[in-house]
Amino acid sequence: MIELQTVTPFFEGKEERLDEILNRYPPEGRRSALMPLLWEVQNAERHVSEARMHEIADILGINVTEVKGVMSFYSTYYEYPIGRFHLQVCSTISCALAGSDQMYDYLVEELGIVNGERDAEGRFSIQKVECLGSCGTAPVLSINDTYYERVSRSRCAHLVEAMRKDELPEAWRERGSDIEGSQKASPVGTSGARGDDGAGGTPTGGGQD
Amino acid sequence: MKVKVNEVELDLKPGTSAIDAVFSAGDDVPYFCSQEYMSPIGACRMCLARIGAPRKDKDGQWVLDEETGEPKIFWFPNLMATCTTQVMEGMVIDTRSEPVKRAQNSMVEYTLINHPLDCPVCDKGGACELQDRSYEYGSGISRFEFDKRHQEKHHALSELITLDRERCIHCKRCVRYFEEVPGDEVLDFIDRANHTYISSEETGLPNNFTGNITDICPVGALLDATSRFRGRNWEYHHTPSVTMDDATGSAVWIDSRTGRIERIKARLNPEVNKTWIDDGTRFGHEYVDDESRLLTPLIRRGGELVPASWDEAAAFVAERLSGMSGKDVGIAIRADSTVEEGIGALALAEHLGTGQIDHAPRHEASVVAPLARRATLTDLATADAIFVAGDVTEEAGIVDLRIKDALKGVAPPELMAHGVPIADLRLKERQPRDERMLTVAAPYRVDLMRYAGVALRHAPGQEASLFRDLEAALKATTTGGDAGEARAGETEPSGHGVASSDIRTAAERLKQGERAVVVLTGAVLASKDAATAALAFATAAGAKLMLIGPMANSHGLEVMGVLPSHANYAYPAMLETAKALVISHLDPAQDPDIAERLKQKDMLVVHDSFLTETAAIADVVLPAKTVYERDGTVVNLEGRFLKVIAAPVEGGTSEDLTGVVKRLGDALGQRLEGRSVRSAHRVLRQRMSIDLADLPEWGEILDVKPVTPRRDTSAPAMAETVKRRGGNVVVTASMVRPEYAYLNRHLLAERGGPTLRVNPADAQAHGLTHGDDVRLRVNGMWRRATVK
Amino acid sequence: MADAGQNGPIVSRHDPRYEVSIYRYVGVDGAHTLDFYRQHGGYDAARKALTTMTPEQVVDEVKASGLRGRGGAGFPTGVKWSFMPPPDGGPRYVLCNADESEPGSFKDRYIIEDDPHQLIEGMIIAAHAMRATHGFIYVRGEYLLGIERTLAAVQEARAAGLLGERIFGSDLSFDITIHRGAGAYICGEETALMNSLEGLRANPRLKPPFPAASGVYGRPTTINNVESLASAVHIINRGAAWFASMGTEDSKGTKLYQVSGTVRRPGVYEMPMGASFRELVYDFAGGPSEPAKAFIPGGSSTPMFPWEDRFLDMSMDYGTLAKNGSMLGTGGVIVIPRDKCMVDLMFNLVRFYAHESCGKCTPCREGVAHWMPRLYQKLVEGLGTQEDVDLIEDLANNIRGTAFCPLADACVMPVQASFKWFRDEYEYLAEHKVPKYSKNDWWQA
Ligand SMILES: Cc1cc2nc3c(=O)[nH]c(=O)nc-3n(C[C@H](O)[C@H](O)[C@H](O)COP(=O)(O)O)c2cc1C
Ligand code: SF4
Ligand code: FES
Repeated sequence: MIELQTVTPFFEGKEERLDEILNRYPPEGRRSALMPLLWEVQNAERHVSEARMHEIADILGINVTEVKGVMSFYSTYYEYPIGRFHLQVCSTISCALAGSDQMYDYLVEELGIVNGERDAEGRFSIQKVECLGSCGTAPVLSINDTYYERVSRSRCAHLVEAMRKDELPEAWRERGSDIEGSQKASPVGTSGARGDDGAGGTPTGGGQD
Repeated sequence: MKVKVNEVELDLKPGTSAIDAVFSAGDDVPYFCSQEYMSPIGACRMCLARIGAPRKDKDGQWVLDEETGEPKIFWFPNLMATCTTQVMEGMVIDTRSEPVKRAQNSMVEYTLINHPLDCPVCDKGGACELQDRSYEYGSGISRFEFDKRHQEKHHALSELITLDRERCIHCKRCVRYFEEVPGDEVLDFIDRANHTYISSEETGLPNNFTGNITDICPVGALLDATSRFRGRNWEYHHTPSVTMDDATGSAVWIDSRTGRIERIKARLNPEVNKTWIDDGTRFGHEYVDDESRLLTPLIRRGGELVPASWDEAAAFVAERLSGMSGKDVGIAIRADSTVEEGIGALALAEHLGTGQIDHAPRHEASVVAPLARRATLTDLATADAIFVAGDVTEEAGIVDLRIKDALKGVAPPELMAHGVPIADLRLKERQPRDERMLTVAAPYRVDLMRYAGVALRHAPGQEASLFRDLEAALKATTTGGDAGEARAGETEPSGHGVASSDIRTAAERLKQGERAVVVLTGAVLASKDAATAALAFATAAGAKLMLIGPMANSHGLEVMGVLPSHANYAYPAMLETAKALVISHLDPAQDPDIAERLKQKDMLVVHDSFLTETAAIADVVLPAKTVYERDGTVVNLEGRFLKVIAAPVEGGTSEDLTGVVKRLGDALGQRLEGRSVRSAHRVLRQRMSIDLADLPEWGEILDVKPVTPRRDTSAPAMAETVKRRGGNVVVTASMVRPEYAYLNRHLLAERGGPTLRVNPADAQAHGLTHGDDVRLRVNGMWRRATVK
Repeated sequence: MADAGQNGPIVSRHDPRYEVSIYRYVGVDGAHTLDFYRQHGGYDAARKALTTMTPEQVVDEVKASGLRGRGGAGFPTGVKWSFMPPPDGGPRYVLCNADESEPGSFKDRYIIEDDPHQLIEGMIIAAHAMRATHGFIYVRGEYLLGIERTLAAVQEARAAGLLGERIFGSDLSFDITIHRGAGAYICGEETALMNSLEGLRANPRLKPPFPAASGVYGRPTTINNVESLASAVHIINRGAAWFASMGTEDSKGTKLYQVSGTVRRPGVYEMPMGASFRELVYDFAGGPSEPAKAFIPGGSSTPMFPWEDRFLDMSMDYGTLAKNGSMLGTGGVIVIPRDKCMVDLMFNLVRFYAHESCGKCTPCREGVAHWMPRLYQKLVEGLGTQEDVDLIEDLANNIRGTAFCPLADACVMPVQASFKWFRDEYEYLAEHKVPKYSKNDWWQA
């Protein structure tokens, strides 16, 4: 069966925004607008459909093959719609050492979907991703590009529960060390943490006098 | 620059890549991603070598080795890809030591882990770079025990090209090819890491030069769909010949097997087509083994065409001829007949004493520019300003590609001991093109306009006025000053409809070029008036000329003087006025009016490979060799004489025109000149002092004075019906291609048939609607087309 | 150490002369606004550079400071800046690499989130030094908060005339575009980043030409890490001598070190170069939270060390780490607990590189991205043999030094190090089909 449908161009009526994006780059760099245009569409539609790829190709004066080639290179452009809550679970080393594998398993269990899937309602989708740069506050769960850090089992359960009610709690800002606030980290070595490591387990003794 | 490869000392030009150093030392390194005429990218890592070089100290003195007192060699810490490393003074390249061997071994192993190794069923088997290199440089064992990557094995990229994704080794040649050569990225990698695969999101592969990727794919991932599963490489007979599809004289391999052409591939000619051909040339051969091919002569007996022997057919013709005045016989041959065939036709005409001889299609204007002003393809590729009128992409694809070479500003590489450099480091991925140097003028949007700084879209049929205005603008810029400006500025957009500012820019850019070239296609040359104006413009700009004739040997036949002795004896007139006709490979009876007149001729002899509409009403039909089956010579648009070699194709008792001349001569009791290639060559040696017997491999541009036919002043007036019937239709140039489009199954499926673009108003005036099948006359030849 | 004397170089954060500078306002509420930044002396360095120093003087100052690139490779920043060819009237670009995707690295993120004006100021100084006409900040796509904050900061700066035409009345006209990535580690590699910025697939480019000769859009370009550019602000403010008073012979200044893995107080600590791992991990990060057996010194690409005094006491500088067969990298220290199976841990890392390989060159696409993770998986699933262990090591050795860009080496060098120190765990797993250390649940309640 042949299905015919007309697609309203995404950027129809958004000419100003389109110009703003194109003008971020010099004229010889028109093609640089490719990634921002993909973002623009995806932010609004939770994916970039084939029709949109064609539209972007036309805007930039390139072939649609090139749009697809670039888009498919990156992990966070989606050809099929993601859920209203898109969960990215960091699975790389520091998060893994803070339990991200268990967090992922928990989410799979709870939501009934696995990496790359979206649930039937379109509420949740889940993606295993690589290091999100939150290693000091691991494990991290990014929900719609907002970081939820040091997500313990209870915090995770709480988040899932909230999202089921279509609520997204304000992200708490976990910090540590020098980022903890105006009073900068002071050495703890002086207080004598020691003993629970494999070898060489002593502070420098610096700053003691 | 002194370089040492293993033990061989060489002196090389600066800028040479290490891989070319190795090859010019007569040595070998394996490689997959590098490819002649394309940018080196260092992706396959197959060509790794151990490389070192001496260093200079602070005072500019070589650091010496304490033991030997020679400059000390500092080895790079890692093995280097030779394809992306430039030679340095004193460089030492080692391709034989243990670490190099180990690396080669591993690269082969890595390349093979995901390769299906289905060589027994692969068309590339026996001609596969991966097969060869694995054999030469691999260890023969694989330690990979996991599932190979599974991907689509029969993906039709287009009707013409099939992709087997599992076989792909990610050399990126095909992707780079589209970006770097035709400049149209219709193919790309999708996804990344080990999931990377080749694909296109376009409908088919909308480009005229897609087939070249099947030549350069080092494995059997990209295959010519017309020849899939047709034969093994070692079974093919490879004939080195030249394209008959257009006037470029591009070098081809005709691969045949058991009397059939299985495929056509590009062959190297560094001065003409490098290693590229267009898709018409590559895929346009399928008609040859169509079932309807004529294999024996036919004679009309009792109103029916019945098979006959050559002797019978020749005797039949000789007998009829004896009853008529030779002057009344017209001879018309197609413009892709060889030089030798032309000589034969001339000999026959001379014997008959007729001035009614012509080749067709033929433009009104000459396609032979004086040698001193004629641009070679190398001139074009190194030009700094180019003006193109018409659609070169369709008429002579290679001209399009050589123009794109010029836009990159990288001159063709000098050949090395081992041939074309494998890694020309001047070429880069995504090299900028200087589009300002190119102006393209045409009555409709042609593909090359995408690359043109100035695109002049003018009203159809207004070429002459356009060129006159261009010339005026040129003169205005030369004289300078306000007066000139004002005059150019005043010029109201005349009939051609191009803004005068665009005209001025185009004229100025051409003028500024020190190596300017003007390229004229059929759009201009079809009209004497337009051609004269165009030549005047080119002369005023000091530009060289490239004139594109309608067919492979238009230049050669014009030079040989296969021309009527009077304008009123030209091909279209001859169809009306001659009492008898010998027609080779032309099909004028597609026009019903003409067909009627042809039926009234005293005799109609048709030499063709198929029972065309004209053949069907002929008295005698002589089976003809197709363009792939003839030996001889063609002259391309540069005036380059190129050797054509016949492929062993089953064609029954077909003869080319020299054969026809021989048979008829025998029947007429006359040993005619041009009765064979050798006899034609004798004529050429004697009359024009040119020797075609020993043409160099890549042909030769000969300084030949064109033969002007004896003028006949007593020709009859031209019949009213022959006069031009006007009408502003735009004929897309695929229609200027040889016939048989409808018999080339794959090409037809991919491209569709020829189309006729008509302005809606004109269409209405002619009562045409979209999708109508029409016949129309282009340069004296009738074509079928679909109205768009 | 502390008693190294008050006149010697500062090589410990305990040294009373030491002061946190780059991270001074990171973590402070509202620090990302222009008001805050200006109230705390913001843009003084840029004003000073643009109004009192020639571009050459700025380059010389940065050279004299001894600042080396903080993005991983450690190339001297001033020297890099001096590679820019003389202006030819055409565009010239300064690029900031905020792609920060190396596992164990998370220092740049907090700068762009909490103190983006510091980065902008650094870019203005760099632009002046190299007569750049435009700047780009390439931020990894996941750092949405950082992108928003930096974008807002650029707009504030533009409105305040700190970006735009003739900044501070000098003849520098300069503006900044923020480009959002979309999930690809390779975009941190400078030439891949340029391809990504140009709207192309982010494969690394061939070098030469180097960016200074032909970078973004084929124009002269210099690319620096966020921290490198932020450091320039303080170098201009306080002088090269101040910066050079910290650190070791070949590694000067103050640096952002990161600690993650099993430590009590993971996070970013700014310290003078030359401080020891011990000082970072014990004195500031509170020591391991459970028995440790190894640490990665500078981000996942750098070969690890076993948890031994001789390594803990190494100074965290470029030379010392190079001498010991590793690299300082981004300064992202990851502490590896004893109870984590080393093979499983390396599987995690190998999988990361496999996922992030761009697919351009053979050893990386087929070896790193395809073969290695399969072998690891087999081992981890208890199906591996001694031959598989040897094969992994052999592959790592064969891939080393053969790939197009450093990503493949970034994968196999850590693998080689894991073999060097922990081969026994591989062999144990191959022999017993279960790991020597098998703690699996690392998730906090
Ligand atoms: C695979 C790979 C990833 C990299 N990722 C980053 C990165 O995320 N951030 C960064 O600043 N530099 C990264 N680099 C280093 C950059 O290529 C480049 O050296 C650096 O941005 C230069 O800035 P600097 O001189 O200020 O350090 C990476 C290099 C490689 C090979
Ligand atoms: S399809 Fe062929 S030419 Fe293209 S990348 Fe694969 S192996 Fe190379
Ligand atoms: S890396 Fe492929 S030929 Fe050199």
